[in-house]
Amino acid sequence: MRTGTTSSDPAGGGSVFADGGTSDRRTLVLTVPDWSAVAAATEHDLSPGTPVAVLSGGKVMAANAPARAAGIALGNNKRAVGYRCPEAHVVAWDEEADNRHFSAGVGALEELVARFTLLSPGTLAIPLDSLKHGYDDEPTAVEALISALVSVTGWEFFPGIADTVFAAVLAAGQARRVEPGQTTEFLAAQPISTLEYAGAGATELIDTFTQLGLRTLGDLADIDARDVNSRFGALGKRAHDLATGTKWTPLNDHVREERLNVELGLDTPTTRSDTLGFLTRQLAADLLTTVRRRGLVCTQITIELIAVSGQSSKRTWRIEDMNENTIADRLRWQAEGWLAGAARKGPAAPQLGSTPQFRSAPDEPGPDPEDFSEEGIIALGLVAAELTTPIGATKSLFDENTGQVTHTLERLQGLFGPDSVLVPGLQGGWDPAETNLWTPWQQAASPVRSPGAPWPGALHAPRPTTVERLPVDVLAAGGRPVGARPAGLESAPYAIRFPTGTAEAVIDYSGSWPVESGWWDPTKAIYRTRLQVVTDSGQALLLSKENGQWYITGRYR
Amino acid sequence: MDVMSAVPLVEQLSREMGISTATALFDGPAPRAVDPVLAPMFRRGGLPRGEIVTLTGGQSLSCALAAIAVATQEQKWCAGIGLGEPAVSSIADLGVDLDHFVNLVTPAEDWLRVASILIESFDILVIDPGFLPSAGERARLLAKVRERKISLISLTSMPGSTEQIEITDTQWSGTEHGHGRLRSCLVQARSQTGVHRFLLPGPDGTPAEAPAPSSSEGVFERPVIRSVS
Repeated sequence: MRTGTTSSDPAGGGSVFADGGTSDRRTLVLTVPDWSAVAAATEHDLSPGTPVAVLSGGKVMAANAPARAAGIALGNNKRAVGYRCPEAHVVAWDEEADNRHFSAGVGALEELVARFTLLSPGTLAIPLDSLKHGYDDEPTAVEALISALVSVTGWEFFPGIADTVFAAVLAAGQARRVEPGQTTEFLAAQPISTLEYAGAGATELIDTFTQLGLRTLGDLADIDARDVNSRFGALGKRAHDLATGTKWTPLNDHVREERLNVELGLDTPTTRSDTLGFLTRQLAADLLTTVRRRGLVCTQITIELIAVSGQSSKRTWRIEDMNENTIADRLRWQAEGWLAGAARKGPAAPQLGSTPQFRSAPDEPGPDPEDFSEEGIIALGLVAAELTTPIGATKSLFDENTGQVTHTLERLQGLFGPDSVLVPGLQGGWDPAETNLWTPWQQAASPVRSPGAPWPGALHAPRPTTVERLPVDVLAAGGRPVGARPAGLESAPYAIRFPTGTAEAVIDYSGSWPVESGWWDPTKAIYRTRLQVVTDSGQALLLSKENGQWYITGRYR
Repeated sequence: MDVMSAVPLVEQLSREMGISTATALFDGPAPRAVDPVLAPMFRRGGLPRGEIVTLTGGQSLSCALAAIAVATQEQKWCAGIGLGEPAVSSIADLGVDLDHFVNLVTPAEDWLRVASILIESFDILVIDPGFLPSAGERARLLAKVRERKISLISLTSMPGSTEQIEITDTQWSGTEHGHGRLRSCLVQARSQTGVHRFLLPGPDGTPAEAPAPSSSEGVFERPVIRSVS
């Protein structure tokens, strides 16, 4: 264990708790280096001496000390890891395990400190003024906390103390204690890339700052705040605040210090939406009171419904005017949609744990429709999914008439169900059907595939205007079906026969491209051949052959 | 007639109907801007407000989406009813601002109800109704469209529309019998302003001017392969 902070402290006045203006923000941050590797070792029950490398996106994102000693560095790919350390245990990053193990481990802190904040898995922050009463000075407090944590968890913790949370996080990376009042100087010396600790949206900003010749946080802090604000907007302003040490909240705007949620178990299962609505109103009022008491505003709420059979439906809703009634409406829609979907379509209808999309992949078989709707819902849960300060929830004046549009669309959602109003979005994929990301109005979109990743073989413009999936027969001149090989079509397409029995002659056709997706995973692998044809009615179609069957996947309308 | 006697009438018009100039009285609200390639198809060079436009034939959905693109970029809200599942990539290619487009997936028989709710706050509707409304319903729809000054584009012909655009011919190019891919489509459209030819989509996915007739002949003709002895 390293306690560099405490040992390097001067014996004088610096070791006493700082007082005055900075004391209310002075923060202790404890971080476990390479947390993901530690969590992976715990998850897979490995001995501490085993080298562990955690891969995310094909690159090492965390490696424990034995792995590093073997020469594994961050950013290595899997093959490089194999060369350097064949016995290394390589695991894929599991965000959930990261969170789970960390929150379980730091439970020991609950008896020691009044409040602490989990900043990210592996990192937690403790406001120092909460330690004032229990300990004489900062070093003893840190010693006591770390030894308590280490004896329970066995993890190595790096402590960092500074006047702002952001600076303390950076200090923890170097196991340093920044003297009270020295935070500005400490920050000024840090490279600009440290802003990445501050939030997801910062990566692009860091690139821009680097191109502008701003190498350290000090360079950024030297610029006038107003100039930064007018050039880079709110994000730039926050980065500037962090660099100068004037603002103590991390870059991402939402404050999610603890999980605010309410749950309610029902005495008897129900499928009646009016009953559910009534119960929700009370439940939502409780949640919103808690949120308001903390001086926050809830902008997104996650509603979870649990059926008797144990299945659950979870959706996150963004609501502009969050109150008991709007929450109850959403819960009612969600419940109705879920139960109706289960009754109507059987499998695949209840969107289990995912935001519904237009085209849901064939899911695991759902419950028996009859039984399901009879059993009904046994428990409700509401989680404040996004909390923000009141100013963050205020709409911009420049958003023209969105209030009215919202009202109209919510009315339609009330009449026809939440899935009837869809807003477009794009995600990664090869075909238009895959890049389509239609999300119900006011729900958070959840892309499955990254749009930024390269998609070799993706369709170029012009792309079809509508997507569908209609099995058809593509026939050659002799009436035989057209086969497709990686090298091309076996014969020239002559006609298309639709399921209705009608046929259209093909007057022109494109070259065929093979697209192979998911080849690394046999359960997801799809090999398809894509073809564009123009029929004698002047219509252009996008065809795709999968598993020996041609489909119309898009129409140029 | 005494000039002065017209003054109360003018005041009354501007007060009660928001008509402040003589042109406003004759022309109604100014049309919405459209892509310059599509502008000649419309009688007043843009998407009329408070009226129904029908757009029929091949590539009519692309044409409608291209026509609303400029308006959505100007923060006007647009909704589609009965369009099936549009491909988001092509909507974006045609220049529509995705933040101002909403697609409605409602039962086909309810389209009129949905439209009448959307008219309250939306600026443009693109509708592909499965069937036509009765005369009474149509009159009410027209009255609402006129009152809210919205632009309604119908992809099936509808009595009561003021502008009718019919795409009479589409010629795709680029496929070359197994040696290329779709690149552009030459569209011939007939409207009240005459017959227009343009590319929709053009090579970059947006509408483009048609190539000059002489070269277009060459583009659409198949290369003749002669045997060489």
